[in-house]
Amino acid sequence: MVTTYIRRAYSSFVAHVFDIPARLLAFLLFLTLLFIPFAIQNTYYLRILILANVLAIFAVSWDFLVGRTGQISLGHAIFFGIGGYITALLSSSKFFGLPIFLTIPIAILAACIIALALGIPSLRVKGPYLALVTMSFPLILAALLKWYPLNHIFKGEFGIRGLPALVPRLDWMTIGQQRVGEYYVTLILLFAASVILYKIANSKIGLVFVSILDDELASKACGINVTKYKLMGFMISGLFGALAGCIQTHLLRFANPPMFALTLSFLPVIVTFLGGLGTIYGPIVGAYIYYILDSYVLRDWLPRFLKETVGVTLPPEFDFAKLLIFTLIVLILVIKLPRGIAKFTTDKLGDLEEARDLDERGPRIWKTYKKKEKTTSTGSEPTASS
Amino acid sequence: MSPLHLLEIKNLTKHFGGLAAVDNISFQADEGEIIGIIGPNGAGKTTLFNLISGFLKPDSGTMKLRGENITGLEPHKIVNKGIARTFQVVRPFRHLPVIANVMVALRSPRGARKIEWLKTIERKAADLLEDVGLSEMMLEPAENMGHGTLKRLEMARALATEPDLLMLDEPFGGLNPLETDFLTKSLMRMHLDEPTRCILIVEHKLYALMKIVSRVVVLHQGEKIAEGTPEEIAQNDRVIEVYMGKGIQDA
Repeated sequence: MVTTYIRRAYSSFVAHVFDIPARLLAFLLFLTLLFIPFAIQNTYYLRILILANVLAIFAVSWDFLVGRTGQISLGHAIFFGIGGYITALLSSSKFFGLPIFLTIPIAILAACIIALALGIPSLRVKGPYLALVTMSFPLILAALLKWYPLNHIFKGEFGIRGLPALVPRLDWMTIGQQRVGEYYVTLILLFAASVILYKIANSKIGLVFVSILDDELASKACGINVTKYKLMGFMISGLFGALAGCIQTHLLRFANPPMFALTLSFLPVIVTFLGGLGTIYGPIVGAYIYYILDSYVLRDWLPRFLKETVGVTLPPEFDFAKLLIFTLIVLILVIKLPRGIAKFTTDKLGDLEEARDLDERGPRIWKTYKKKEKTTSTGSEPTASS
Repeated sequence: MSPLHLLEIKNLTKHFGGLAAVDNISFQADEGEIIGIIGPNGAGKTTLFNLISGFLKPDSGTMKLRGENITGLEPHKIVNKGIARTFQVVRPFRHLPVIANVMVALRSPRGARKIEWLKTIERKAADLLEDVGLSEMMLEPAENMGHGTLKRLEMARALATEPDLLMLDEPFGGLNPLETDFLTKSLMRMHLDEPTRCILIVEHKLYALMKIVSRVVVLHQGEKIAEGTPEEIAQNDRVIEVYMGKGIQDA
């Protein structure tokens, strides 16, 4: 009884996952992510991957808004910052001191409501104008946080510090074990967030979102309340953006005004274009590539490599050049692979699958074709037309 | 006969700057009619359509649907009251497959209302596509479709909300004779299937139009210059003058 059930589950798993190259790849990637902590002992590298998970959640929420509903937001840091600050205020022992499993949901819902409040006026403008309007929000809020009459609450540039950690370090834990715990918590949240967003994007509501992206006027002519759906998209995206902010706040155990910085608004853009716009899974790949390039290759490996082989020590100004290198990489990618790395790969795998299907389906067709070729080529030399 | 007209337009006016695109137009449409709106280029036909469907707000005048004032409502609200339209230049959702284009319209409140029990949205969309003869290319992306196919797709999308008043903006534009014939036939069949539905057609191709309409409204420079059956319009001196120029009667 049980064995037949397991056998059936296994065969359906094989049919669903192993038969489709793209899914197989995704499954293997997921397995790799699952077992990475066992392979990496260095806590610094593990920390990079944890932050990559957080950025991936943030970028996926941005991709949902821009790639699926077509509302360009260049101020996504506002949700990140709001989520972070609200959970910081609520959980800080100086204010409310609530446990984080309460404060994070409250912060997420509050960010959702703020997304609605910001969306109502700003979604009246479209395209680049919307991008500019949204870009201004985090800057205004960052200025407000640094305003000195409010310093006793937000502590200005210093930020709110000493917050409870996402994974508390128990007595018996080493720092490495705490990192492993953080890694799995962020990985699970990333997995949940991306699956939920992917499901929404491919549901029947997701169809309406894409229709607004394609042609707003035609959606209206179909009787769709475009404003309502846009606000819905804004709120869903804000919710997951705030989730990323909350996680990062409790990972780093502080919230400060740079959470609203422009760089944080542009990071999901870079990451999404690396992975592929509108795919939902692309930004995850993009976030990992970004963090590996940024924190491992450019900060760690390249200086060491140059020092050991060429004997050149990189000056501290190299940090600026790093930004330049990144811009260059993104530029090349946008021109050469406008669909992004992840989308490009899955498309190639899709082609592969089609070719294989043809191979399986049509041996008979192949044989008859070959026979024809033989019969025509027996008499004289085969020509290109025959 | 109910005393209320399906659509009643009174003194509708729209100015673009100094130009009166639609100038003091009044007419009524009743259930079961097929009305053609004709006129030379720049007569204000498409503007009139945009006013009725809510994409433009009139400067003055009123529009009533079954006695209910719909002047100045949002486009999606007007669709949900029962007026659907197609566009002169096709506007499909290019990223979506053909069937999903129709499903979007079925997600609107009015479209969803018409999905009967135990009939899924996909089934309903497939049925609608079969009616316009697109059931073979249901799963293809809309961006791969030709112009004539997209025109039919737009019609299926408009029909998805089961409108009382269907407005077709140049449905024959850019179609070859075969497609024109197909569309004429499917319009006639639709008229037989839903005898209470009123259809408004803006068209340049008078030959195709005159065969199916029961009444014609002629616009010229934003004004209504004539209204009547196709035979009456064909005899009307003013209409001939507008279409052919003044000298034709002297020659």
